[in-house]
Amino acid sequence: MNPLIFTTILMTVLLGTMIVMMSSHWLMIWIGFEMNLLAIIPILMKKYNPRTMEASTKYFLTQATASMLLMMAIIINLMHSGQWTITKVFNPTASIIMTSALAMKLGLTPFHFWVPEVTQGISLTSGLILLTWQKLAPMSILYQISPSINLNILLTMAVLSILVGGWGGLNQTQLRKIMAYSSIAHMGWMTAVLAYNPTLTMLNMLIYIMMTLTMFMLFIHSSSTTTLSLSHTWNKTPLTTTLILITLLSMGGLPPLSGFMPKWMIIQELTKNNSIILPTLMAIMALLNLYFYMRLTYSTSLTMFPSTNNMKMKWQFETKRITFLPPLIVMSSLLLPLTPMLSILD
Amino acid sequence: MMTYIVFILSVIFVVSFVGFSSKPSPIYGGLVLIVSGGVGCGIIMNFGGSFLGLMVFLIYLGGMLVVFGYTTAMATEQYPEVWVSNTTVMGVFLLGLLMEVMLVLYVLKSEEVGVVFKFSSVGHWAIYDTGDSGVFSEEIMGVAALYSYGAWVVIVTGWSLLVGVLVILEVTRGD
Repeated sequence: MNPLIFTTILMTVLLGTMIVMMSSHWLMIWIGFEMNLLAIIPILMKKYNPRTMEASTKYFLTQATASMLLMMAIIINLMHSGQWTITKVFNPTASIIMTSALAMKLGLTPFHFWVPEVTQGISLTSGLILLTWQKLAPMSILYQISPSINLNILLTMAVLSILVGGWGGLNQTQLRKIMAYSSIAHMGWMTAVLAYNPTLTMLNMLIYIMMTLTMFMLFIHSSSTTTLSLSHTWNKTPLTTTLILITLLSMGGLPPLSGFMPKWMIIQELTKNNSIILPTLMAIMALLNLYFYMRLTYSTSLTMFPSTNNMKMKWQFETKRITFLPPLIVMSSLLLPLTPMLSILD
Repeated sequence: MMTYIVFILSVIFVVSFVGFSSKPSPIYGGLVLIVSGGVGCGIIMNFGGSFLGLMVFLIYLGGMLVVFGYTTAMATEQYPEVWVSNTTVMGVFLLGLLMEVMLVLYVLKSEEVGVVFKFSSVGHWAIYDTGDSGVFSEEIMGVAALYSYGAWVVIVTGWSLLVGVLVILEVTRGD
């Protein structure tokens, strides 16, 4: 793609999300979502093969449907409240429709079906943008309407997402699908605590973005998209096997790594609000996630995975320079002792 | 009839939307889009929006739809699909018509339709026309406000249109 056009379109993706996050008028928010969607389609289609076309089409269809549902919820809200400001959704119907629309945009269950298929069809860098940047805009709207979301629907979607994200990722060997299911599960954790303490949603989003960014950078560095290909990194750059180990365990939520911090805070917040069964279930279902992360670490760092002899050496392309990889790795694994700093968020 | 003109026009509006949503060939879709554009213009004009109705005819029908018609005429196939040529298309069209007829009967039978919000056929149309500002026509003031208070909207929508063109060119370019 022409570099100037590519830069323009990438800046429009950023601009769309910024407009969504900074607007107080519902129509501008909708315009921001549409701008974001329109501009990310050619980024998803950077390579011209049928898989990317199909993935971009699926993404476009689901996100456009979600935008239409959002517009309907905005208009119902307008009819019942007579104003366009984004403070509180005044009508339960509008609130439910809006929650469903934003859940479709995020990839929460029962609207999660597009996430693995779209993530699998596109390149690693596009998948990175899809799973991290594209989650910011809908999550910011959910944060802003959080007092008026129907709690039953939200918690149902959250718990089902954690379940689907854990269960669905179990049989996968393609790394992009594993990351997609991990994204579904993390979105479930984020929306579970949204009604109780939205600050923790933002904290979880921040740490999730750092960890996903790190994982994708490590995958891009070793140019691997399958488990088998990742298991050959001991041959290419042995250091990244350790880094993959640490980051994956952090994503699974193991103390003393920083991925434990959001899970710990969320469980604490939920139990403070007198729900015991829910966080127990969520913690148990996070084990499913941990299982397939552990399987990745087993094949990558802990063992020299069996393969045929002529596949043991990976072809040494020119080493990709991944900027910010060391700080990202440090941030996604060593942030746990900084947890008391969360008190400044009051 | 004039008291119910908005209702009649809105029924024709929905029927023509069903007409192109049932996906005949784009040529026929463009045909019902002309009808729906004209009827939509009539609905807006009934609320005093003569400028906006003129915009619909000039820009939408006379500009965008003409270009669409020409490009479709260049790309059309030998036997384009009509509503009666394909069972699926006809089925969807009839289903949409049936739903519209049932909705119209529901509205005509009971004074109120309470599907998602309470809506009574003629009365509520008048209520949403709030704020009688007397001398000035609200709609021209609205257009003026678009360029003064709403300058940011103009910038954002203008940029979206530009990026839309870039995106479409990029997507259809191929390798």
